[in-house]
Amino acid sequence: MERMDNLRPEIERLIVAKNQRRRKLAALSFADKVRVVVRMQQMVAPVLRARGRPVRVWALDNSDPVGHK
Amino acid sequence: MEKTLQVLNVLERDGVLSRYAIGGAMGATFYAEPVLTFDLDIFVILPQTADGLPLEPLYAALRARGYTEDGECVTIEGIPVQFLPAYNDLLVEALAEARETVYEQTPTRVLRAEHLAAIAVQTGRDKDRQRVRLLLEQASLDDNYLATVLARHGLKARWKEWTT
Repeated sequence: MERMDNLRPEIERLIVAKNQRRRKLAALSFADKVRVVVRMQQMVAPVLRARGRPVRVWALDNSDPVGHK
Repeated sequence: MEKTLQVLNVLERDGVLSRYAIGGAMGATFYAEPVLTFDLDIFVILPQTADGLPLEPLYAALRARGYTEDGECVTIEGIPVQFLPAYNDLLVEALAEARETVYEQTPTRVLRAEHLAAIAVQTGRDKDRQRVRLLLEQASLDDNYLATVLARHGLKARWKEWTT
């Protein structure tokens, strides 16, 4: 098994990449961010419904996915 | 969401509500990375009512337009909207100083990031702590403006506790 010390640089790279992605998401336009929120709703809704929490995924007027406007 | 905002603009134009602004998770999303939410939180200043039920005329106006209540929300053009009347001085100030913006082609307002942070501190739930952390990290807060808001509303001590 690989030692933790050997994994650290790879984990650091992953954390840097994750933070870069978060900054990129934060820089999107408001409308694109709303589309991302609706994507997250679509992913999470089946899980929440299975747990008995009724949720409604938003119906956007323009449902074009992010980056496909 | 654009059609939802257009309905809110019509309600404001017609005087059903005096002023509105987007807050909550969607308000934070305006300034930071997208945050999962299923409700659109709309802070409102409403005209005075004699019966002490300030939201009822708003709900009646929405019902007349075919939008029905669903729990604590009203679904407007496919989006569950939760109306939150400005019930204290911080919220009244936040609405007065909300930022004008445009969503797609539709004018709207979003609470200032500093007010979103102050409201989160005042509300004090776990998810509000996360919101403060997110706004601090990503929202380019105006430190002087924020300090003034926190001092004016007695929130400096909790802010310090949460952020140090």
